[in-house]
Amino acid sequence: MKKVLFIITIFIATGISAQTKYQTGMQKAFSHWEKGEMNKASQLFERISKAEPTNWLPSYYAATIEILGSFGLKDETKLKAKLTKAQEFLDDAKSNSENNPEIIITQALLNTAYIAFDGQKYGMTLSGKNAQLYAKALKIAPENPRVLLGNAEWNMGAAKFFGKSTKPYCEQIKKAIELGKKEKIEQEFYPKFQVKRAEQVLKQCQS
Amino acid sequence: MKRILFLLLIITQFSFLAQTTISGKVTDTKKNPIVGANVYLDGTYDGGSTDEKGEFSFITEEKGPQTLVISFVSFETFVKMDDVSKLKNLTVKLRDDVNSLDAVTINAGTFKAGEKAKVTVLKPLDIVTTASAVGDVLGALQTLPGTSAAAEDGRLFVRGGDAEETQIFIDGIRVFTPYSPTPNNTPTRGRYSPFLFEGITFSTGGYSAEFGQALSGVLDLTTIDKPDQEKTEISLMTLGGGLGNTQIWGNNSLSLNASYINLGPYTEIFPNRDKWVSPFQTASGEAVYRHTFKDDSMLKVYGAFSYTDVDVLQDNINFSDGLRFGLNNRNLYINSSYKNKFGNNWRIETGLSFTNDNTKAKIIDDNINNQENSTHFKVKLRKQFSSRFRISFGSEYFITKFDETYNPLNNQSFNYGFDNNLFASFAETDIFFSKNLATKIGVRAEHSSFSDEFTISPRASLSYKTGKNSQFSLAYGQFYQNPNNRYLKFNQDLKSENASHLIANFQHTKPNQIFRIEAYYKDYNSLVKFDNNNINGTNPNDVQPTFNSNFNNNGFGFAKGVDVFWRQNQKIKNTDYWVSYSYLDTERDFRNYPTAATPNFASSHNVSIVGKHWIESLKSQVGFAYNFASGRTYTNPNEAGFLNSKTKNFNSVSINWAYLIDQQKILYFSLNNALGTRNVFGYNYKNTPNANGNFDRQAIVPNADTFFFVGFFWTISDDKKSNNLNNL
Repeated sequence: MKKVLFIITIFIATGISAQTKYQTGMQKAFSHWEKGEMNKASQLFERISKAEPTNWLPSYYAATIEILGSFGLKDETKLKAKLTKAQEFLDDAKSNSENNPEIIITQALLNTAYIAFDGQKYGMTLSGKNAQLYAKALKIAPENPRVLLGNAEWNMGAAKFFGKSTKPYCEQIKKAIELGKKEKIEQEFYPKFQVKRAEQVLKQCQS
Repeated sequence: MKRILFLLLIITQFSFLAQTTISGKVTDTKKNPIVGANVYLDGTYDGGSTDEKGEFSFITEEKGPQTLVISFVSFETFVKMDDVSKLKNLTVKLRDDVNSLDAVTINAGTFKAGEKAKVTVLKPLDIVTTASAVGDVLGALQTLPGTSAAAEDGRLFVRGGDAEETQIFIDGIRVFTPYSPTPNNTPTRGRYSPFLFEGITFSTGGYSAEFGQALSGVLDLTTIDKPDQEKTEISLMTLGGGLGNTQIWGNNSLSLNASYINLGPYTEIFPNRDKWVSPFQTASGEAVYRHTFKDDSMLKVYGAFSYTDVDVLQDNINFSDGLRFGLNNRNLYINSSYKNKFGNNWRIETGLSFTNDNTKAKIIDDNINNQENSTHFKVKLRKQFSSRFRISFGSEYFITKFDETYNPLNNQSFNYGFDNNLFASFAETDIFFSKNLATKIGVRAEHSSFSDEFTISPRASLSYKTGKNSQFSLAYGQFYQNPNNRYLKFNQDLKSENASHLIANFQHTKPNQIFRIEAYYKDYNSLVKFDNNNINGTNPNDVQPTFNSNFNNNGFGFAKGVDVFWRQNQKIKNTDYWVSYSYLDTERDFRNYPTAATPNFASSHNVSIVGKHWIESLKSQVGFAYNFASGRTYTNPNEAGFLNSKTKNFNSVSINWAYLIDQQKILYFSLNNALGTRNVFGYNYKNTPNANGNFDRQAIVPNADTFFFVGFFWTISDDKKSNNLNNL
């Protein structure tokens, strides 16, 4: 009996320490990301999302990588192909997690990628949508540092375009950094606040 | 117990050992390896990417039948279901994604605007920032090739066709009376505000079988699906003012706007050549209600009401006190549309429109009162079998009832009118043979009740991609249109007018750059002719049939030409410009023409140059537009012949300046024909010769050479960021 109990405990113990396929997969994807292997990272997130059809995180990350990779592209064909793919991932994420502020601000980031490419073509319809998206995200999660930072950055872009001071948004960025440092992540692989990047944005704001 | 555990362990071990290697090679259709494609078993963690040789290999513990997925950006995703043991040494050719931006598009004859279009010729902002357009959709389209500048008219004249040969649609549903009525030689505008639309398809020939009753062109405007935010818009202009409001709740949204324009104060300060009995004034209101259902299906109801009133004494050589023209027009338009997806890749679009238009005109001492009630009902179904093959088909029904009362001075009264019901069905298929070759083939059948006539119009177009950035297209089509209301009201013993189009197009696109050239030949048959002896009445298009005119369908004609378009953006910093050139050679024998001649509305050469420049330091956008049109024909009764002379060339330079006071306040200034060029559209000749036996003449000119406009636009919204730039 003791032996059986022992074996059972061993089994449970290994069950705890042994990582699930999901965890290994996600960790591997993040390590690809850190190494700058964007294509591999994105593809792995895509595969995980197909294997975990009810989890919003893998498709959220797959979308984020595609969006970040589209900034600076000169060829509209590539841009459109990448962002269309990103939109599919985001739609997938949305279907698993409604009114999620992280997904809402990523949608705004996707729109910004279009606007940054051709403001005349996409700006008229998408900039209004972005204002809406940030307002919605702020309503749901007024203390979410990523939402605060995204909103402040968006406003800074608009202020710069109109030749206005970006100073009013510095406070919001400071608040975001403060909240970001305090933030406790409860769900595994939940998006983290990038303090370093926020500090860079703060510098731009004050300059 | 131990044994059991041991056995269990063995089994698990064994299952760990039961691994299968999945391998193969991925290439494109030309056998070039695809690097970095994502290869995986659907629903598992097992997969990998292809290497430099396009090869992949990964290990899986899965067993039995599995789905192998291979996906790569701008290729169609490959899916194969098979037993894992058989997924070895595969050779997979990925097919090009024909929906990608660099795939061939069927575009002969068509210009698209809006962000959904693959190749945008105009951007949404262009409508409102083109100097000569003054915020009118039609004005912006008149800077594209294939249109003729008829600055005294304002309507769309496409490739040698009369303005009535171009039909306008909103969300695929016909607009029966798209233009605000105006006195002669005063340009009209579209009735509808530009900011309601997010996409424009303007076709100057060879269009889809979905559209009929147009011999020359089709303009389809797509209304906005979902407004972004709640806002209030206020505009104050030298000519009047406007107020708009948008509300959003749940899946519903409602936009209302009202405007009032009165030219009185302007003509007081800057008197022009006409004497105004009562100034031009128009009041209009629009409302759009949109409801989104769960599954992306959508209902839109659009209603517009406008009232126009004017009474003017126009300077005219035959009337010493001026030619009296009074007009009072009331117009109601309702358009509702519904779209939904169902079943396996089916789509349904249906819509209904209703127009009630009442015009009371007073010309000299005659009163004419007419009433038009028209309805259009349409259902269209589309089935997408794959991204390479789809069909669409549908039916539509048009009802028109037109009544007119004519009261000449002597208290007599004449009543006449007509009813016309038209039934049409259409079917069309789109086939992509590859990313480089596509075709669209369709047919349309129509039956008109007044003539009991049945017509069949085949349509076809083919596009071939000749290089990375270039493509070549061909289009052919037959087009029928009922005779105009002005003829039908006097005589219903007529049949449809006919045109056939043949178009060849070459297009070369690069980021921020478009070049296209298009050659066409148009053949007209069965055009309506009528007799009216007043052929010296100068501008033959102003000569109208009367109730005792004789009509027939013996008219004919042709139009051929070349259209060139070039647009470049950002090559010069913060600057966007385009150049359009159209060459047109046309003659027709129609209306009361005694012989075939080039009509007055057609000019052989048309040039438009439009430029915009953003000045960061001034927070301003400055724009300019230059329009040129070679001389137009007119009949000089002092010489033999019909339409025997040509006016001098038309030249106009317009400039505009939009200053962003802040994000929500804009000051806008525009000046049309800034150089004050005195343009002549034709001549009015005296009805009787003078003492020397010559007919004296008077030039037909705009009622003012130069026109300026100042406006202040203010948007109030929660985010304090949107502005009215799109309303200008």
